[in-house]
Amino acid sequence: MTVWNFRTTVSAAACVAALGLGFAGPVAADDGWKPTGPVSFVMHTKPGGGTDVMVRALAHSLEPMIGQTLVVENAPGGGGATQMAKVRAAKPDGLTLGVNTVSHFTAFLTNLDGVFSADDFAWIALMQVDPILVFSEKDSAVTSITDLVELARSKPGQVNIGGFGPVGSMQHLGMTMLEQEAGVVFNWVAFESTPDIIAAVMGGHVDAGVANLGPVIEFFEADRLKGIGVLGDDRLSSVPDMQTFGEQGYNVDTSWLQVRGVFGPKDIDPALQQQIADAIFTAMEADTYQTYARSAGVEDGTHGPAEYTAFVERILTIAEAQLKAANLLSQ
Amino acid sequence: MFENLALGFASFADPMVWAAVFFGAFAGYLIGAIPGLGPSLGIALLIPFTYGMDPVVSIVGLVALYVAAEYGGAISAILINSPGTAAAVATAWDGYPLTKSGRAGEALTVSIVSSGMGIVVSTLFLVATAVPLSEFALKFGPGEYFALALVGLSLVSGLSTGSPVKGAIAMFIGLALATVGLDVQTGVPRFTGGNPDFFEGLPLVPILLGLYALTEVLVMIEDGAAAKTKSAPIKKLLAVPMSTLFGLKTVIARSSLIGYVIGVIPGAGPSIAAFLSYAISKKMSKTPEQFGKGSLEGLSSSEAANNAAVPGSLAPLLALGIPGSATAAVMIGALMVQGIQPGPLLFTKSPEIPYTIFASLWVGVPVMMFLGLAGARVWAKVADIPRPAIAAIVAGICFVGAYASSNSMFPVYVMVAAGLVGYVLRKLDFPLAPVILALVLGEMMEINFRRALITTQGDWAVFYSSPLTGILLAMAALAFLLPAFGALQGFVRKRRAA
Repeated sequence: MTVWNFRTTVSAAACVAALGLGFAGPVAADDGWKPTGPVSFVMHTKPGGGTDVMVRALAHSLEPMIGQTLVVENAPGGGGATQMAKVRAAKPDGLTLGVNTVSHFTAFLTNLDGVFSADDFAWIALMQVDPILVFSEKDSAVTSITDLVELARSKPGQVNIGGFGPVGSMQHLGMTMLEQEAGVVFNWVAFESTPDIIAAVMGGHVDAGVANLGPVIEFFEADRLKGIGVLGDDRLSSVPDMQTFGEQGYNVDTSWLQVRGVFGPKDIDPALQQQIADAIFTAMEADTYQTYARSAGVEDGTHGPAEYTAFVERILTIAEAQLKAANLLSQ
Repeated sequence: MFENLALGFASFADPMVWAAVFFGAFAGYLIGAIPGLGPSLGIALLIPFTYGMDPVVSIVGLVALYVAAEYGGAISAILINSPGTAAAVATAWDGYPLTKSGRAGEALTVSIVSSGMGIVVSTLFLVATAVPLSEFALKFGPGEYFALALVGLSLVSGLSTGSPVKGAIAMFIGLALATVGLDVQTGVPRFTGGNPDFFEGLPLVPILLGLYALTEVLVMIEDGAAAKTKSAPIKKLLAVPMSTLFGLKTVIARSSLIGYVIGVIPGAGPSIAAFLSYAISKKMSKTPEQFGKGSLEGLSSSEAANNAAVPGSLAPLLALGIPGSATAAVMIGALMVQGIQPGPLLFTKSPEIPYTIFASLWVGVPVMMFLGLAGARVWAKVADIPRPAIAAIVAGICFVGAYASSNSMFPVYVMVAAGLVGYVLRKLDFPLAPVILALVLGEMMEINFRRALITTQGDWAVFYSSPLTGILLAMAALAFLLPAFGALQGFVRKRRAA
């Protein structure tokens, strides 16, 4: 199978799916985004991950709207570098876009510092926001953030928190903010996937875990895990009993959220950026996307190019301060 | 349970479900046979097809694809010594020698029958024990995972033929390669030379392609268009007598059980299962000297075990919502598209899903075996294609397969480098399997070793306080030390005689 075939299979598959099932969704206005050829979404992950599923769900309603196929091109590797190199080198015609998470921003400050920066790209649309939360095993004595903090006070540096990614990752930085606010020290245990964290918490190998809502909600409903606090302004509608960090007296910056957004090469015309963002937001209203997004437990984002670019700057400022505070970046 | 199973089989009243099984099995069979592609890619490619389909139809199709693709890896391992996955490495050990002696049809038949039986037996265990065994697997903490990886690695000494010293050196090469990349706990780049391409470590598929397939191409070129044995055509329904297959029943049953249990432990997967069951079969065999030279028992134990690991990896996925393998993780994505979030409530909330999957595993086996047996006739002819043509085709597959794994050139360079290194190692009589085994297990071993010490603030008791860890570590120590002791004894005896 050639690469050409490989790509066509993906788009043909999406096409068949869209045509064969009698799509009935929103239709773009006349002044909407009209790409002149197939649109590539370059991913930093292998096929089948959460981000991948998001784009494939979006493609279902976006393709008929823009009248072009949407090609998912997986370019994993280099902690996002393989993907970012492709997007940066692409023509700014809106036909090559990338999908990013907060890990892209932290990488600009750490591993990929000097290789890529936020200014290399146009930040087009913030599609999803996903607050992080802390959870413990159902029979654990730790039932709130306060319990966790008190435990860490009684045995400093010995309370094991399992989370996604190494020291300096999005989730780890969220916990260092809590450490600073509460004046305690946790013991960070890095995992490479959320299911591994869930298994470690259920098996009693770590005291608490960090995750986004989607992967853990079934475990809350089954009464195997309990949420002890969410880092956000409001409680989550599907877990109304879980208090926010703020409600428990810990004022941690609530704009520290996991996100999924769309970006492109930096010279895309601002008017085109706005058209792309509008098309994406309209496509997100379709039933198929809404069904997927609600079952994945994510909130819809609404930031277009201007707001998203401002958001990226804000996240970079917080991340830099946090990395410095945690001694992960030279002062 | 029987009511629910009946419910599962009842889904097959719908002809669409049958269509999904056939299509899934066929697509999986082809995807698995191409080195560089694999079950997780296959499922991801099929996901867009499943939008708006009935959840049962799409899941049945995906399961059929998963199972058939896991089998398909055996075909390239047997025919051209190019395992597409680490799980098929042990299959090549006996499968390729059989092909070289003109018995490709036989090897393919034994592999498909063993795979099919492995799934049937393993699914039986799955239906009976999915929930309790998955709960037990939660007891596996970092200490246990480290010990399990070490057991896997200790098999190197039992499996490598020839010089144990060369086997050990090959293993250390693999372990050294496994240290490249961002450190999982601290995020510090190791041996990357500042190049982001190395951040996520050396990619496994290109290394497999290079080490096995490209090396084989180089050897073929060197041998030139030498006269070769023509493979025996398959005349009857099966290429081997029924009695031969029947004689493998103990090997298949034992390997299926090993495959299932190892498959249930999240993260362990089909490759450890295949190596472990191969090692045990060799120990128990009446003809252990045949292993590695074309033993049907060896081929059968590897194939039964790596396919039996598939239903195993579905156990924690269905019972708890925790995927047992990379492919099972992609399955979660596919289920989510259908609005089904696998979790601990799946059996109570929508029992039709797990029980239809159980039923489809059984129903899918005859379909897969039909494809496999029919395909064996075609594939066996591949072995007759003149060597220069085969060499060119395989080299082409290596390059395209490596490129397709991340749509960039880096894996292609890795594949070429691995091919050259593999060629040198082969010329010097170093075994290649320990390199792959150590590369696969090295990362699992290191991260769990450190995780174990991090969670206990550096208390080494974590490695002997749990009985499970203790037993596994003792097994690993024995497996390492016995052959070393044997070698020492032989050395002393030789010195005395001299």
